[in-house]
Amino acid sequence: MEQPATSSGEPSQASSADASDETLTRHTLTSLRSLIINPSSPVSLINSILETLTRHLRLSRDSLILHHILSLLAELAHRSPDRSAVIFQAVRSFSLSTESPPLAAESLDTLASISENEEICDGSFFVSLCFDSLPPSRLWLLKNAGRFRVRPYLLFTVFLGFTRDPYPYVRKAALDGLISLSRSGAIEDHSLIKGCYHRAVELSGDSEACVRVAAVQTVSEWGQMLAASAHGMDRMKWSNEVFIKLCSMARDMRVDVRVAAFNAIEKTKMVSVGLLLQTLSKKVLDIMKESNYPGQGSREQKEAFAFSGALVHGLEDEYHEVRDAACCSMQKLTALSSQFSGEAINLLTDMLNDDSMAVRLHALETMQMMANRGHLSLKVLHMHMFLGSLTDSSSLIRDAVRQVLKSVKLQNMELFRLSVYGLIESMKSYHQDEIKNLSVLFNLGRNHGRFTESLITKVFNEIEPASDGKLGFDNARVSAFLMLAIAAPLCHVKNRCKIPVPIFSYAVTMLGRISSALVDEADQDTLLAYLTHCSRSSNDHEMHSGNLLPSHAKVQLEADCQLLKSMNDMFSKMGSIWSAVKLGHINKGLRTLRVCKGELAILASEPSGISASVAFAEQYLRIVKLLSKIYIHFLPTVNYCNYRVGNLDLLLVKLERRLRDIRHQFIGQPKEELHILELILFSYVVKLLLPEICCCEITMRKLSAVLFQVEHLQEEACMKPSSFVSELEKITASTPCHPSLLRKAFSHFSLEKFELSGRLEYASAELTVPGNNSENPLYFVCGMPVAIPIKVKLGSIPRQRRLWLKMTIGEEPTEFLYLDTKLYADSTRFSYSAPFYRTPKVLSFTLRISIGMECMSEIIDAASRCGGPRYELTFLTPEMDAYLSSEKSIHSLGTGV
Amino acid sequence: MAIDCLVLGAGQEVGKSCAVVTINGKRIMFDCGMHMGHLDHRRYPDFSLISSSDDSNGALDCVIITHFHLDHVGALPYFTEVRGYGGPIYMTYPTKALSPLMLEDYRKVMVERRGEEEQFTSDHIANCMKKVIAVDLKQTIQVDKDLQIRAYYAGHVLGAAMFYAKVGDTALVYTGDYNMTPDRHLGAAQIDRLQLDLLITESTYATTVRDSKYAREREFIQAVHKCVTGGGKVLIPTFALGRAQELCILLDDYWERMSIKVPIYFAAGLTIQANMYYKMLINWTSQKIKETYATHNPFNFKNVHKFERSMINDPGPCVLFATPGMISGGFSLEVFKHWAPSEKNLIMLPGYCVAGTVGHKLMSGKATSVDLDKDTRIDVRCKIHQLSFSPHTDSKGIMDLVRFLSPKHVILVHGEKPKMASLKAKIESELKIPSYVPCNNETVSVPSTHYLKADASSAFLRACSSPNFEFSKRHREEGENLGSEGTELNSRLQVNDERVNHGILILEGTKKVKLMHQDELPLLLGKEKHVIEYAYCSYTRLIEVEKNEDTSVTSATEMRSNLLRVLLSRLSREHQEETIQDFGEYIQVNSVQIRVCDKDSCPYRIKGSHENGPGSAFLCLSWSAGDEELAWNIIASIETPQPGHLLLGSERQ
Repeated sequence: MEQPATSSGEPSQASSADASDETLTRHTLTSLRSLIINPSSPVSLINSILETLTRHLRLSRDSLILHHILSLLAELAHRSPDRSAVIFQAVRSFSLSTESPPLAAESLDTLASISENEEICDGSFFVSLCFDSLPPSRLWLLKNAGRFRVRPYLLFTVFLGFTRDPYPYVRKAALDGLISLSRSGAIEDHSLIKGCYHRAVELSGDSEACVRVAAVQTVSEWGQMLAASAHGMDRMKWSNEVFIKLCSMARDMRVDVRVAAFNAIEKTKMVSVGLLLQTLSKKVLDIMKESNYPGQGSREQKEAFAFSGALVHGLEDEYHEVRDAACCSMQKLTALSSQFSGEAINLLTDMLNDDSMAVRLHALETMQMMANRGHLSLKVLHMHMFLGSLTDSSSLIRDAVRQVLKSVKLQNMELFRLSVYGLIESMKSYHQDEIKNLSVLFNLGRNHGRFTESLITKVFNEIEPASDGKLGFDNARVSAFLMLAIAAPLCHVKNRCKIPVPIFSYAVTMLGRISSALVDEADQDTLLAYLTHCSRSSNDHEMHSGNLLPSHAKVQLEADCQLLKSMNDMFSKMGSIWSAVKLGHINKGLRTLRVCKGELAILASEPSGISASVAFAEQYLRIVKLLSKIYIHFLPTVNYCNYRVGNLDLLLVKLERRLRDIRHQFIGQPKEELHILELILFSYVVKLLLPEICCCEITMRKLSAVLFQVEHLQEEACMKPSSFVSELEKITASTPCHPSLLRKAFSHFSLEKFELSGRLEYASAELTVPGNNSENPLYFVCGMPVAIPIKVKLGSIPRQRRLWLKMTIGEEPTEFLYLDTKLYADSTRFSYSAPFYRTPKVLSFTLRISIGMECMSEIIDAASRCGGPRYELTFLTPEMDAYLSSEKSIHSLGTGV
Repeated sequence: MAIDCLVLGAGQEVGKSCAVVTINGKRIMFDCGMHMGHLDHRRYPDFSLISSSDDSNGALDCVIITHFHLDHVGALPYFTEVRGYGGPIYMTYPTKALSPLMLEDYRKVMVERRGEEEQFTSDHIANCMKKVIAVDLKQTIQVDKDLQIRAYYAGHVLGAAMFYAKVGDTALVYTGDYNMTPDRHLGAAQIDRLQLDLLITESTYATTVRDSKYAREREFIQAVHKCVTGGGKVLIPTFALGRAQELCILLDDYWERMSIKVPIYFAAGLTIQANMYYKMLINWTSQKIKETYATHNPFNFKNVHKFERSMINDPGPCVLFATPGMISGGFSLEVFKHWAPSEKNLIMLPGYCVAGTVGHKLMSGKATSVDLDKDTRIDVRCKIHQLSFSPHTDSKGIMDLVRFLSPKHVILVHGEKPKMASLKAKIESELKIPSYVPCNNETVSVPSTHYLKADASSAFLRACSSPNFEFSKRHREEGENLGSEGTELNSRLQVNDERVNHGILILEGTKKVKLMHQDELPLLLGKEKHVIEYAYCSYTRLIEVEKNEDTSVTSATEMRSNLLRVLLSRLSREHQEETIQDFGEYIQVNSVQIRVCDKDSCPYRIKGSHENGPGSAFLCLSWSAGDEELAWNIIASIETPQPGHLLLGSERQ
């Protein structure tokens, strides 16, 4: 191969002679490129190449050649920044003179990539580009404005100006630009915000639908800014104003505009109750006619007809996308007012009759949220539709209804009776749901002690053995009543419990079913103890009737409470461990951790078995250990070589995996979630402090995403941010982040104040390959797919989470197999023949199989996916070995497999 | 030019819809319906009003039928075959398919049952239909050189359409009957945002505002479900097309989801045939049906079976759909006789029943018995439930449509007079659109749009192609008060783009209209352009320069440019929100130009004490009227001495 110009001798001369030739061929361009990327090409040569290229850029007419010249110039600018100004000018004049839109776009792209690296492009230049170029290039420029370094206020002016453009797509691009500008938060001037908002309102009546969609989003974003920049009454006034505008756009004739409007309404943070109520009624309400909103005159009245019933219209829309969006926004709006929730429930129960399952599920989810907030007040009117969904053919819907029933507080006896009978009906038609229904009945009983007592007293004769002494406990009705009855004493009512005592003895006969229904709350032994206690209490009753109930209450899940208590005792030690580590007493910290681990092992060995909280604690201890090991790397005074702590980057990788597992496998209360998220934030801070290990930009993006989630959770749970979190908020507010701020946040992190609330769900799985071991391998034919029979048992896999089977041989690339939700829709156990396609050409091999669950927050980049999951996986099982052999072994021949 | 709208039917009443519209010389007849309530000459529109001569052919350019209901299509065979209209007739495909069925059915009832004189024969119907041109939705039809029509989806019934008609620059929409909320089998009306001079809309429910359809559906389902779980039979008398399918989809869906095993029956006859049409015309149904169609045709009801007469007295619960809707006879009456006496059973009545039918008797008060004729008396012990499904839009829907289309004028037809008047008032007060409620045989004239063609100068065209926007603070006008008076201060940022707004229209000698760019005008008139500019020149000491050898050597030009640099950095600090440009010779902030004045006697110079020396000079500012405030701000900041700004010195170190 020719030595390209290492010794500025003949070759370079030859190349430059080529380059100066009148016609540039693609071949010449290729050799020019090799000269450009060669770092040792002499300066003079590069200069002459540059000169040639710019000349051809002016003269050439061949679009293909021009395309290559542009990319070469971009390359050149990238390699030698000192020439980028010259290149920039050349490309710029080309972009203005060319009449071919693709080439113009390309040249603009080159300009953008140069100005990304260099501080050449000032605002005026960008503006002149926008003004001088043809509409297609203008569109490109507006869409890619972020790549040029233009001051936000100038950018704002350009965007706002172009909302007047006669070309609709330019208007749309300008509005899109304004939306992204509003998210950057760079514009603070109230009058500018107002101007932009009003312009967007004008455009919401545009004749082009795409412009209207963008206008809706702009109205929402800038309207929110407007409200945020106002004070006192004005803030409410502006919020109302924006809300009205958005609602009146929800009646557009175009689906996408309507969807956009509802998506925007969803973001409403503050609005008058009257307006909210008006969205639920097509008729103009009296409250609007009176219009007692301060300082608003009769504007709402005038516009009331335009936005009234917006939600109703949305919910009865023809397109399920719109109904879905309307349902979501309703979900968010119910959080704003309890009065609104009360009215919304009428519509929501009606939505349960929708033909789209997604909409029905959303409606139920909304009800669940309302129930959690205590805003859900069901009436008899709603019960037919609501309880009817208990017999819905989709198990997802039935589950969702049960979730609502678990947490709802029913107002009167009639509602309670209807709910119980609804559950019994459901048990009759769906036998597979029996356990779940029993669990709901238990919750109902516990939440409604009084109602339960009066119901049970009425139906007691049904439960009592018939005259022939036979107990009908296999009957769904009776088992439902029993379940309900035994929960009643747990209700915290002052007076004593009036459940007939024999019931508790009867309940013992169905202990198996009861305990499987209450698997999350208590184990069989505890239950037995509880039932025995209650059935005995009739005798105690005479002796000390006064404190009968408290003793019952104490029995409730006694063992679990004990476990929880000891676990929380353990968690309280974490604070002291952390302070020890902070002071450099790493060994002391690790020792305490080991003690804790021992304690946990004892707890786990107790009859209750490994419950979710124990598994959680185990993971947690591991994480604390990793954190401590990482922390000492940052201690200035400690020579960490004295400790066997391992390599920092390896530790970080481990930590990340553990954090991902704990975050996604456990579903708990917001408090626990918050704590885990804080730990994750801390891990990001550590990474950011080590720029040599990680990519700061990506980590920063992840950090702000998690931080946003934390803020959201805190807002929902009404909690104050910890000092660590508030430090981080400062960091994200100031870009680029400053190492000193990071350090400060780092030092604010602590492990105190964490307690388990006890209601944890643990996504777990057990995987077996039945009948397979190294002695009895599965038979396969080389190169042909083979079916691996697997048996899976799942525990509390959240809905919407997707499961994957990962199969690996040695270092070979992995094969992923999606496990369809239908497999485990109705049962937690299933068998499945997993196909494995890439059988190697060997006599025998071992296949490592494990089950992973997608972590919804962590997207794998598309390049490395290759057909596998979209998100990172958290593995629910350790890797199982499956043995395969291409020779029929003696054993398998013998058994005839 | 004007649009004349002659209302031949459905003016301040419901029935015999017919409107003849003249736009720019073209005459279109929208709908050609009959009135079901009259049996005399009032049954048909008064066609003689169309033209003074009896020749309907020359008087009309085309007839457009919106849907197949008799009050919209009933008079068509009479008009074409008896009155002899031979021009084109437009309707949608489903309307073309279903209209003959409806007309034939009506003819039979009239002639065979009531023994009336035949108005038109089967042949008439067939011949009439041969003249019909079927159109598709959103298909633009060029009726002739000037007249364009286009159909838009209207909901209401299968194949119902709104029609857009355009002659030259004038355009109107005739809605026919429409529905703005979707139901289970038909979608909501859908139309583009058009530029309209006139909107002719129905106003059946001009004052009603209906609540969510879900409430009505829930009541219906609840009643039916309750009856069948109690072991009763449900009779749903319906018309063959429309509501039967709507209710059937609703029930079939619910049955499917709740796995209810009670049979649903369809009585044989027109209903089965109608279902067939629905299956074929799936494209005209709602979005949901179109979506599910790929997997399963929703009109192939899973739980619906055919009903035989022998099954009337079979035991056990069931749901039965039977025609006719008002139990005026036929199969529904027969079933009614058998089922009415049982308390367990339920009769679902449609929302509206004509007086004299059994349905009407049942609706009016709690009837315990119904006399069918002299000898037959039926005890009614069953439950009665009244449905309130309607395929017409309510007043809110009408308002929404009018607001969306924002036409220049609105004409209301197909409604009751007092209610229409109230809707008219509402449209005029809330939307500020003039509207009319003509009675039958009355003509309404509204002005139409007409565009003039004008030449444009090349300078104007050039100016149009590149953006040229400006921002201004506009003071709020009366009547568009967006907030309370006190807090909102009155001005708002406005954007204008000159290429759209600015131009000068001139009438040249030849009476040709021409558009010019504003810069061309002085040239044309031979006058010069005058611009008002302000100027101000004052002495400024900006830089404190260390007095050393170096500075004394500095040339005047260098000094001047240094001065400007310092000024630039200060201005960009103090006026961050303005666009500051550096042109070397001078600095420009918006329209304010700042340069170093080296004239000895500048006419704008302000008198005052000054000393010459390095770091100080005369600064001359000039600005145009719009930037007065900014200019004075800059002057103030230049003239304020700023100690400690030894920028020049430090730069040079």
